[in-house]
Amino acid sequence: MSEARSEARPEDNGGNAATFDAHPGADAGVTPESPLQWSRVQGRVTEEGGAAEQIRVVERPFLGHLVLRGGAITLDEAVRAELGVSLPGKPLGLVLDAEGSRSVQWVSPDEWLVIVPAGEEFELENRLRARLGDAHFAIVNVGGGQTLLELSGEKARELLMKSVTYDVHEQGLPVGKAVGTVFAKTSVVLRRPSEARFELVVRRSFADYCVRWLLDAGREYGLRVESASP
Amino acid sequence: MTQSNRLNQGGRIDRSRRLSFTFNGQQYMGFAGDTLASALLANGVDIVNRSFKYSRPRGITAAGPEEPNAIVQLGASEAAQVPNVRATQQALYDGLVARGTNGWPNVQRDVMSWVGKLGGGFMPPGFYYKTFMAPASMWMTYEKFIRKGAGLGRAPTEADPDIYDHFNQHCDVLVIGAGPAGLAAALSAARAGARVILCDEQEEMGGSLLDSREAIDGAPASAWAEQVVSELAGLANVTLLPRTTANGYHDHNFVTLHERRTEHLADTAAGAGREGEVRARLHRVRAGRVVLASGSHERPLVYANNDVPGNLVAGAISVYIRRYGVVPGQRLVLSTNNDHAYRAALDWQEAGREVVAVVDSRAKPDGDLVKQARDAGIRVITGSAVMEATGSQRVSGAKVVAIDTERFVVTGKVETLECDTIASSGGYSPVVHLASHTGKRPQWRDDLLGFVPGEFKGMHVAGGAHGVYALGEALADGAGVGAEAARAAGFKEAAAIAVPDVAVRHESPISALYQVPHEKPPLRAPKQFVDLQNDVTAAAVELATREGFESIEHVKRYTALGFGTDQGKLGNINGMAIAARCLNRSIPEVGTTVFRPNYTPVSFGAIVGRHCRELFDPERYTALHQWHVENGAEFEDVGQWKRPWYFPQKRRAGGQERLETMHEAVARECLAVRRGVGILDASTLGKIDIQGPDAREFLGRVYTNKWAKLAPGRVRYGLMCKDDGMLMDDGTTSCLAENHFLMTTTTGGAAGVLEWLELWHQTEWPELQVYFNSVTDHWATMTVTGPDARKLMSEVTDIDLDREQFKFMDWKEGKVAGVPARVFRISFTGELAFEINVQANYAMHVWKALFAHGEKYDLTPYGTETMHVLRAEKGLIIAGQDTDGSVTPEDLGMHWAVGYDKPFSWIGQRALTRPDTAREDRKQLVGLKPKDPKVVLEEGAQIVLDPEQKIPMTMMGHVTSSYYSPVLESGFALAVLKGGRNRMGETVYLPMSDGSVHQAEVVSTVFIDPKGERQNV
Repeated sequence: MSEARSEARPEDNGGNAATFDAHPGADAGVTPESPLQWSRVQGRVTEEGGAAEQIRVVERPFLGHLVLRGGAITLDEAVRAELGVSLPGKPLGLVLDAEGSRSVQWVSPDEWLVIVPAGEEFELENRLRARLGDAHFAIVNVGGGQTLLELSGEKARELLMKSVTYDVHEQGLPVGKAVGTVFAKTSVVLRRPSEARFELVVRRSFADYCVRWLLDAGREYGLRVESASP
Repeated sequence: MTQSNRLNQGGRIDRSRRLSFTFNGQQYMGFAGDTLASALLANGVDIVNRSFKYSRPRGITAAGPEEPNAIVQLGASEAAQVPNVRATQQALYDGLVARGTNGWPNVQRDVMSWVGKLGGGFMPPGFYYKTFMAPASMWMTYEKFIRKGAGLGRAPTEADPDIYDHFNQHCDVLVIGAGPAGLAAALSAARAGARVILCDEQEEMGGSLLDSREAIDGAPASAWAEQVVSELAGLANVTLLPRTTANGYHDHNFVTLHERRTEHLADTAAGAGREGEVRARLHRVRAGRVVLASGSHERPLVYANNDVPGNLVAGAISVYIRRYGVVPGQRLVLSTNNDHAYRAALDWQEAGREVVAVVDSRAKPDGDLVKQARDAGIRVITGSAVMEATGSQRVSGAKVVAIDTERFVVTGKVETLECDTIASSGGYSPVVHLASHTGKRPQWRDDLLGFVPGEFKGMHVAGGAHGVYALGEALADGAGVGAEAARAAGFKEAAAIAVPDVAVRHESPISALYQVPHEKPPLRAPKQFVDLQNDVTAAAVELATREGFESIEHVKRYTALGFGTDQGKLGNINGMAIAARCLNRSIPEVGTTVFRPNYTPVSFGAIVGRHCRELFDPERYTALHQWHVENGAEFEDVGQWKRPWYFPQKRRAGGQERLETMHEAVARECLAVRRGVGILDASTLGKIDIQGPDAREFLGRVYTNKWAKLAPGRVRYGLMCKDDGMLMDDGTTSCLAENHFLMTTTTGGAAGVLEWLELWHQTEWPELQVYFNSVTDHWATMTVTGPDARKLMSEVTDIDLDREQFKFMDWKEGKVAGVPARVFRISFTGELAFEINVQANYAMHVWKALFAHGEKYDLTPYGTETMHVLRAEKGLIIAGQDTDGSVTPEDLGMHWAVGYDKPFSWIGQRALTRPDTAREDRKQLVGLKPKDPKVVLEEGAQIVLDPEQKIPMTMMGHVTSSYYSPVLESGFALAVLKGGRNRMGETVYLPMSDGSVHQAEVVSTVFIDPKGERQNV
């Protein structure tokens, strides 16, 4: 993250928007449940680790997911100052910070998805709001509504060909690209953050369906769905 | 049985691997590399089916997808049954079991055969329409009989043990067909670096190269095919799909390919030792460019008795001999109008069997192949054709006669040649089916005597598919077209591969001949079949034209020409030519019919893919799903959501434990909410976050009521109309901050409302500064409601719940069970209610904490059914249940929620000021109280004012919601009724389908607590 970050000022909502820290805090003794909780109970999802399969699907639960709305010119400087990365310069672009743990994704001409490590999102929202001041923008916390699945392995591409309509070949989905696409009978955000990895952002209520679909589609290759510890 | 027609050598089969199979109950042997058809021919099986309409014995006619007769029912077990399989396309495997699809009880002894024998004028085209027309009520009965007699295979009655799936493919160049042109095209495109998919429907790629007599670069043509396929297989940018039929060519170069993955190995994947693998895969290909290299089908000639087993198309003879080492007879007569067909006679003779004669319709054929035949001592009869085949179960002879094709008459004496096989060739029809799927009509080419594909953006045609038949030319054409397609796909440097060396062969030109004239007029001559699969004869086509069917589309429908799975592969052009002759027009004037997907039958499994059983449709779960399951909820589908419907509890009665009925559970849940406290998982409600300085203005334009003065911390109910003034959705919207609102929608309306907001914002009011984002899944929503709700809430929250501090329609932020929450005092039950929103990941914690504290209040979970009863008791509507797109806010009695004097015109305002929406006699929402309290009216029941009137009665409205209320101890309903608000206290009648009539009193929509005091406590 940039050194030039401003001090968070929760009371300043960047002009009459209500912010809300959804997290009870570590000392509250509250155990969160990711959207894959039911799949886990059903035995479809296991703890991270174990014997290697041809395809690995790993959930990264409880990350901070923010939707940024606004023009690129409005948002770019604030995002660069607070996240240390620029907005993706091109449609369908995906950029990651140096650590690879914070990302900004182009979603539509005035919409970006920001994913940051768990718990960072509220502070980030406040800092962005403070920087953006009276500009016309919106920041929406959607972290409870979606989760991130990482796909890796030799056959990951074939698995995706069974699942999404988008072209997942290098030519269609090079590193640094992210798209919204049809996934079986629902939709997902499909991202290519690195050579070795694809990512799916799935909606909470559809997450179990997506897991079922992936398990089924991956059966011929060998596939396990795991969930990382928060 | 021995393989009497099998040659000792030759062919591309593996004689060391013997395979056993069963056809029509009899066991045979074949070899690896056989098709079912080649194996049947090897075993001398003449009759493989009975014909569709006349029940005539039929044998194998062709060697590819155009085969009209050898259509079999495949599968050893009931579950593995597959209908409509062409024996010519089915690879032989050990243990294969098949039978002919027609013929009841079997093909040899057929109870329907009397129909065929009487045949003739007894079953003209339109026979079924004409004969079984009346009485109409009997058609269903006739149809069952006719279907059973006709038969076209049957579906299995047991579940398919196999699975199927879909693959989404993308490529720069899709090449359809791996014959000479296709292979050359694929290689040109692939070497240029394009992503290439090459598909071919056969077991082995190579197409006509595999049975060619010609040499490429001095080696057999098949060797070149092998070499190219092996090069392509080694390229990372090439996907080879053998055993894959391009079945549909859709818009924008979207092509569906049907790949058979285990069907060539066994009748189930498990049977092939490939448990769990897919049997067939549907590739959904989005291609930059399509190269159609689908080749051509040889047309048979139309002559009398041309359907008797032993009649084949000439090219099939060469295929069976050269690829499978099978000679399907002893003595051959070839009837042709072109040079290329001569190779059948040469191959036959080289296989050591007798060629009785080649009968050529041309006066002076002199091409290289003709010379070769003459040099080989084969008798060539010119200016003549086979007029009629003799024999019934198998060809016994060919009646040959000199003909005048111009005048369509025979001109000489008939000579009968003894033979058991007649091969015929009437020329070649480019396979234009796929190109026709695009909607482009094929174009007639007089020089080719065939149709070629029309032009279609993104499609390139190569080789035989547009009439480039000569091997050397087809290779060059394919090479050039492949490069052209790659260039068009963006590979600017793409160049055609060097074309290998092929000797040029001199061919004498083809002459037009479709139907061979007979001594007798067409309607008197023995049957001359045009479409063998659908039993359409030349006489039928002629009769159709005489009966006034001039359009080929009408002729087709009247006669069934080119129908069904056949799609006119062998017969269409002949049929058109006959119609043209009868109508005295040219073929292009008669036109061509449209070919439709699918090119060959596709199993339903492949179409369905994995979208079946538990993956048929997504099931959406809330964050509390696990709790609901563990607590015995019955679920209701609301859209794709699984919502708890009710929570039946165990009851003890008479020493026995049983679950409550739905009625009992709902009554208990209702009373718990009215008397104590209940809790509902309301997470499925649509939620839209709205931010921006113009958010408030925007709300005022999309809702009917006013939003200008809603203060932060307050909540308002809103009605949303379409521009026709009819209610579309409703819900509460909360002011979170001056420029920040949270809108809720109905569960089913969530996606539609968000789209609606975006539509109006983006197209009508882009100047308004506002953003909408779905947060439906982000928040979990729990409704705690009932007289004890405050007591329970006070134990788990730090929010001041004082009724003066936290009023009805307020919202507050605080912690619930230690989790940050927004709590809304809104009520859909009419009781004191707190709607708790927490980030969904924390929902289970909060829910469980509520139950931990709620035990002493007997906190009762309730489901959607109880929710419905409770809201209906309060006259609260559900958009989509009590409304149907024809109901205005006024009709619902909600004029209080319509701000006619708002400064800016809102959606629906204009429509709501039309005279029609102001009519007094519109259907208006009312309550109905059945006179008999035990009666629960049927939802949808029609309301009449006079039950004695004659049918059809004047219907005044209908019931929209109806339940039993345990509080009222009576049934009650909401209904829409014409002029309903002026009918309070009147009695209306609801006639039921069983003849009974219910009576009900028209009452207010609010059945409980009319002043609304209970929610304000």
